[in-house]
Amino acid sequence: MTSATTTNNPNFVQRLARDHSPLVIALVLIFMAVCIIGAATAPNFLTLFNFKTIIRDAAIVGIMAIGLTFVTLSGNFFLLSMKETAALAIIAFATCMAAGLGFPMSFLITMAIATVAGAVQGLLIGLGGNPIVVTLGAAGLFFGIGSWWSDNLVVSFRRPHGAEWLGTGSTFGLPNITIAFVIIAIVAELVLRKTSFGRQVYLIGANRAAGRATGHENFAMAIKVCIIASVCSAFVAVAFSAQVSSAHVNYFSSEFGSSGDMTIMVIATVMVGGNSIMGGYGSTLRSSLGAVFISTVDNMMVLHGFNSGPRVLAVGLMIVFSIMVFALVRRGSRAEE
Amino acid sequence: MTKLKNWIVSNPDLAFAILLSVCVYGYFAMTNELFATHRTGFAIMERFAVLGLVGLALTLCIIAGEIDLSIGSNAALAAVITVRFTDSLGAPTSLMIALIVSTTIGMIQGYFIAYLRVRAIVLTVGTLMLLRGVALFAAEEKTVMLTDFRVPDFISTKMLGYFSPASLLVLAMFILVALFMNFTKYGREIYAIGGARKEAVAAGVSLKRPMIIVFAISGLCAGLGGAIIGLRSGTAQALGLQYVLLAGTVAAFIGGVSILGGKGGVIGAAIGTLTVNFLNTGLVFNVTPAFMVQLYLGILLIVVIMFQTGSRVFDESQRRKQILADTDRMAKLLTTRRQRIRSG
Amino acid sequence: MQPLLKLTNIKRSYGAIQALKGANFEIMPGEVIGLVGENGAGKSTMVKIISGFDSGFTGEYELNGEALHFSSPIQAERAGIAVAQQELSLIKTMSVAENIFLAGDKVPTFATKRSLSKMAKPFLEEVGLGHIDPSISTDRLSVGEQHLIEVARLLAHDPQLLILDEPTAALGESDSIRILDMVNRLAKRGKSIVYVSHRMDEIFKISNRIIVLRDGESQEPRQAADLDVNSLVELMLGRELNNMFPARVAKQPGGVPMMKVQDLWPDRFLERISFDIYPGEILGLAGQLGSGTGDILAAIAGATQTRDGNLVFKGRNFLPKTPKEAIDAGIAYCSDDRKHDGLFLGRPISDNLSSAALKRISTWGVRSDRSELEMVTENAVKFTVDPARLPQEAGVLSGGNQQKVALAKWLAINPDIILVNEPTRGVDVGARAEIYQKLRELADEGAAIVVASTDIQEITNLPDRVITIYRGIQVGEIALEDMTAAAILKEITDPFDETGLQEGQTV
Repeated sequence: MTSATTTNNPNFVQRLARDHSPLVIALVLIFMAVCIIGAATAPNFLTLFNFKTIIRDAAIVGIMAIGLTFVTLSGNFFLLSMKETAALAIIAFATCMAAGLGFPMSFLITMAIATVAGAVQGLLIGLGGNPIVVTLGAAGLFFGIGSWWSDNLVVSFRRPHGAEWLGTGSTFGLPNITIAFVIIAIVAELVLRKTSFGRQVYLIGANRAAGRATGHENFAMAIKVCIIASVCSAFVAVAFSAQVSSAHVNYFSSEFGSSGDMTIMVIATVMVGGNSIMGGYGSTLRSSLGAVFISTVDNMMVLHGFNSGPRVLAVGLMIVFSIMVFALVRRGSRAEE
Repeated sequence: MTKLKNWIVSNPDLAFAILLSVCVYGYFAMTNELFATHRTGFAIMERFAVLGLVGLALTLCIIAGEIDLSIGSNAALAAVITVRFTDSLGAPTSLMIALIVSTTIGMIQGYFIAYLRVRAIVLTVGTLMLLRGVALFAAEEKTVMLTDFRVPDFISTKMLGYFSPASLLVLAMFILVALFMNFTKYGREIYAIGGARKEAVAAGVSLKRPMIIVFAISGLCAGLGGAIIGLRSGTAQALGLQYVLLAGTVAAFIGGVSILGGKGGVIGAAIGTLTVNFLNTGLVFNVTPAFMVQLYLGILLIVVIMFQTGSRVFDESQRRKQILADTDRMAKLLTTRRQRIRSG
Repeated sequence: MQPLLKLTNIKRSYGAIQALKGANFEIMPGEVIGLVGENGAGKSTMVKIISGFDSGFTGEYELNGEALHFSSPIQAERAGIAVAQQELSLIKTMSVAENIFLAGDKVPTFATKRSLSKMAKPFLEEVGLGHIDPSISTDRLSVGEQHLIEVARLLAHDPQLLILDEPTAALGESDSIRILDMVNRLAKRGKSIVYVSHRMDEIFKISNRIIVLRDGESQEPRQAADLDVNSLVELMLGRELNNMFPARVAKQPGGVPMMKVQDLWPDRFLERISFDIYPGEILGLAGQLGSGTGDILAAIAGATQTRDGNLVFKGRNFLPKTPKEAIDAGIAYCSDDRKHDGLFLGRPISDNLSSAALKRISTWGVRSDRSELEMVTENAVKFTVDPARLPQEAGVLSGGNQQKVALAKWLAINPDIILVNEPTRGVDVGARAEIYQKLRELADEGAAIVVASTDIQEITNLPDRVITIYRGIQVGEIALEDMTAAAILKEITDPFDETGLQEGQTV
């Protein structure tokens, strides 16, 4: 029972060097070399247009990843229902737009539905339900509701409509969706760093029992973070719908981007950024960077002329890689749970 | 009769699974006269051959306290390999190659999960994507097809009314795995690291061995399932078979597995898979659109979870009652002791 | 006869702290040694070294005359040394037999549940659980029975030496007696047992000889028959205690209580408890491990279920149902396990210090970095934590500093009542004095402090008044003038004068 160690807190590089020096450093160096070579040899990589493309491609997954990060940071793992919440939201939005309700009204209704969807899941999780299972069931439910509501048909609304600016418009040469991504990323990071809510997210995620002992219950937190994640999914759905002026429940199920399953992409993005699955460690900034990183890798592959096969392979490799590096680094550091 | 009641009380999750299975079957049998026929039985068993393997694999993973999200991609890769090489090497050889590849992939994953102390759900998010890329690569982005579709017919020949070589092979796997899990030290280790990982490690159970075994089995099941589908349909797509993850997970939970790990079994996996199959087939017969299947699966999952949670809450309250009863008994003894001291 | 195990001149340091300063240990075959010492005396370090969990020591280690130096606990286990830790390592979802044969060389590769049950029977007999069906699930057993199963598992590996670390800490009376009977039986069969415990009555009932550890040094083993409670306590405590504890002044009788605790009935208590808490005093709750003193504090703080209870506090009649309610009412509570719920180990110290009072450093939900820095610096300094370390993770601090942070964070809510369970567990001597000083200052400023502790030195010298608890009942109250270690010990170990009774003769 005696614990009498006094240690100086070594910094990041010292920890790396101390614990798994040969392996981690070798991996990180290889990785950096690959990136640099890939970037240097890809045609048109270092152009402004390309950078804008990278960020735009990262936007949709990135916004959802930011929402999901709140859930992960608070120790509530993941929502496996992001894709289906988006599907439900997109149907809701398109149906409202097609009924002539105009953009503001349709947007509000969609957000309201997303809030309810998130709150229900958060409630069950806060009461003690396991997030994986609850959201798996919710996913099926939402998808089914969306399909039934739209009779599994495409819902379209005519141009011009009030959502043009979001879907296809741009300001100062940047697509509005990109601007939205940047704004959301900044706001989310500020919330986490500067508000008492943000601090609570970290505390409850770091140690739920200690959180309870200091007056922060996971019940309220679970509901709030699930709502945040659902609203982000819905926002992405609205933006996409505005782009194509239509909606179908399967829009997010089929090959989205080059890598397919959206839920997996969003979760991978959160992990690639280095957020800890146990909670209490990480940030939305990391997830945003993770989104950009994955998008960059994909972009490099496209510029090199690879087909979807190698692209998916490269993205998958990068994801596994980052997870391994972060796991190795974390093994050497803080006190074990 | 009391023996039955005792069994139900000590295995509530399995009993509920059986009940659910019977209900689902009964419902469809009553609402559709085509459902309870021999031909449908055969179709269900054929489906079982693939979904059963996935359900078995996921059951084992969840018992061990983890999950294998890459199982669909692993299966798709095996399907591609099998179909691609059947023309040149023959069905049995290409099947072998696919199995070796998928099992090795599983073992590597299990090793890293144990060595890196990383949660499987995190690692397999990456490997899901990685394997999909490998499959795309192996299939050269096309749908792979056999030139002679009669070659693999043998796996679907009807035997004993409901079965085929494929489904019999799968049943054999089930039996082997059941024996392994229940009667060997290594099977028990898997239950231990799932049910109480910290305690198991403190008690001296190694983490590497059971983890590698579980994921090797998962890889093997994925490979076998993918190969069977590939041979049966004669085609394979690198991006296919993604639905097996959800269906398999639901089957595992219906079968009584607990998200906390350490609970569940092979019999439950079989029953859960059958239930999901009944649901699938029955809905198809009732001409329900595919999206509704997801809806019903979701509802079924929620029902099972509510039951499991309720049963856990009930157990907790029973335990508290027992503690309080013990305390009251001690309190009575206390009064006796005090009196005895006073008089003695 | 040569000793089974002999450790000579063992030195072990962790950084700047010397846990063992040349301590000795020995045990004969078939002997029961009682190992006693206060918190921080080096007991757990010694146990870790004996059982192979700690190889970083200097000194001689001889097993059966052969010099050894284990580099892992598995090696020690193979050599026949087994240790039953305080925390159970049973798999609750598996059966008793499966738990007994879980890992190690003696576990059969192929076995049915029934054959395992058959193999388990003799070991269950040996621990006194012969009547239990080995095929039932372990979570159906009581905590005491579970501890016995843990020992049964160790016995299945046929050890020569068994170390039991606080085996009866969580046990009720009948279960504790079972453990003692088992120890006797095993010793008769030639096994050696090291019995580490705070419970004086058990140490005397069971040991052949007693070894006392104090501040990292050991005393000569003494025959248990040559000692009594008073002399043992004297050996354990030594002389520095006077410098560690702040002076106390007898309180005037009368005065209005800050809180009246009425009919509080935590789950494992045999009857309801009532007492008063006065402002400006430190009230001690004394009781052996497992007596329930901690449950009382947790109940007042809303952290645990109770069957009944009412607090009269600040003009209200209520009982908090959640920690949040208690905090809002001005009640601070620090549990005995800071790693579990007292600290956010991965977060910076400043986060920890402000965690209970986020509302006070935020306006409209936005945190003010400046207010936070001000508040946490002030509270850190008050508990002598170096403010320069505020950005560091709480997990890198020493035990003493961690405990200070766990306590200091409550200053932020300006509490009227501070409840602390085991204020100096795992804390070095220097930090202890600082903590005691601070608690006294807080009391002098008008707060009411309630301290529960199993540390005899602490509970005798810190509080102004002590309430004694024995196995879930309130025994009595001891005022400052009567407060001696012996008096307290008597009430918490043997309030009914029963040590005259033979073992097993209790009702």
